[in-house]
Amino acid sequence: MSQNKRTIDFGFSEVPLEEKVKKVKGVFDSVADKYDIMNDVMSMGIHRLWKRHTIELSGIRPGQSVLDLAGGTGDLTKAFAKRVGQSGRVVLADINESMVRVGRDRLINQGIAGNVDYTITNAEALAFPDNTFDLATIAFGLRNVTNKDKALEELYRVLKPGGQLMVLEFSKVTQPLLSKAYDFYSFNILPKMGKLIADDEASYQYLAESIRMHPDQETLKQMMLDAGFDKAEYLNMSEGIVALHRGWKY
Amino acid sequence: MPNPQNANSQHATGLMSLTAAKLLETLLNEAIRLDAQHGAAFKALPECAIQLHLKDVQVNFYLVCTDYGISVQNALKGEADACIQTELAELVALHRTGQLNNAQLSGDDALATQFIQALANLDIDWEEHLSHYTGDLIAFKVGQAARSFAHAKETAKQQAADTLKEYLQFELNALPTKDQVMRFTDEVNRLQEQTDAIAERIEQLLNKRPHKADA
Repeated sequence: MSQNKRTIDFGFSEVPLEEKVKKVKGVFDSVADKYDIMNDVMSMGIHRLWKRHTIELSGIRPGQSVLDLAGGTGDLTKAFAKRVGQSGRVVLADINESMVRVGRDRLINQGIAGNVDYTITNAEALAFPDNTFDLATIAFGLRNVTNKDKALEELYRVLKPGGQLMVLEFSKVTQPLLSKAYDFYSFNILPKMGKLIADDEASYQYLAESIRMHPDQETLKQMMLDAGFDKAEYLNMSEGIVALHRGWKY
Repeated sequence: MPNPQNANSQHATGLMSLTAAKLLETLLNEAIRLDAQHGAAFKALPECAIQLHLKDVQVNFYLVCTDYGISVQNALKGEADACIQTELAELVALHRTGQLNNAQLSGDDALATQFIQALANLDIDWEEHLSHYTGDLIAFKVGQAARSFAHAKETAKQQAADTLKEYLQFELNALPTKDQVMRFTDEVNRLQEQTDAIAERIEQLLNKRPHKADA
């Protein structure tokens, strides 16, 4: 964590604080069109299970309001929109215009409309009043945020009392042997696949590096508590390749 | 209390539960899509969450009904609007029986009943849907073959039952016939009546006998 310094990590490299947003934007502008197919290829489809598990644990019901921050191409938004119905509301928010555009087109094409709003917003300065949402999610997005503490504080602010934050993010693998295999895959195979499918090796190299720089399970849990959440816990999925952190505002 | 397990059912879900929920969701939404009325009965439902508790397999599903269809999940924040407790076999047979006779309903009973009726009234014309892929003639032939198979299966089942019954009753004499059972039951009843009458008679004779003190 180098959020009090003038530079910050961008993958394994250090960049000026104000540069990270632009660089992350560049990465996602580059991969937006092929983001979904790359996710399927990279995770061998398992990302769908991780997301499904997240949706299940949300316990969401008709009439509730949901913020899908860093919602990207709208996987979670689609599932939540179907569950909250027309009496509820889902906001797909992302800092990246290209991703929001891809997500919006995709959802409209799939008949998801009327209860979904789209907005381009910075996680560190959410453009919503206090106590707005019953549920906020950020799936595979927090590691790209420059000031994670500030983003968590903002997420806490916009949740209603009784609301829940769900952070689905790559984390620290708990099984040593799997960890070695995972490292090999991330730094040797993943970038090559990025080049082959999205013609963008550098962006996928960044994705692999950013995963390693992201706080581990316990650190993120503590960050959530420090941000004001009254209770926080996490659930490892696939031996910790991904962890689902949940925080509650009472 | 609509929830027979716990009020706030946000528990961890395993891979099997996730798969089961996804499978049920797909089946329900496909059935609604193929329904002759396109699931109009479900569209008449208000946006709601219905708990389906399968008693025999101890599984809970939460069916979230909205305009988009039915979403099935293993957890729900708060209580469901209505709860249906039934058994898996009874649920599977719902399309044939038209009702869940042994189901227990709680919460909004009217909503639960409306949902069960919507499920029972799903009407899928398989031949019609198949004809979109194979043409009318092949779809009709397949349908006819399926009906013939179902009829033959029913006939064979009935014949096997009759043959077994006759073998046990007349060849092995291991089981009585229906008439024999009825005759036996009648005789037992008659004997019971006669015994009761004798008991009554003895009671009266005992009452008429002079007491020793009187003698």
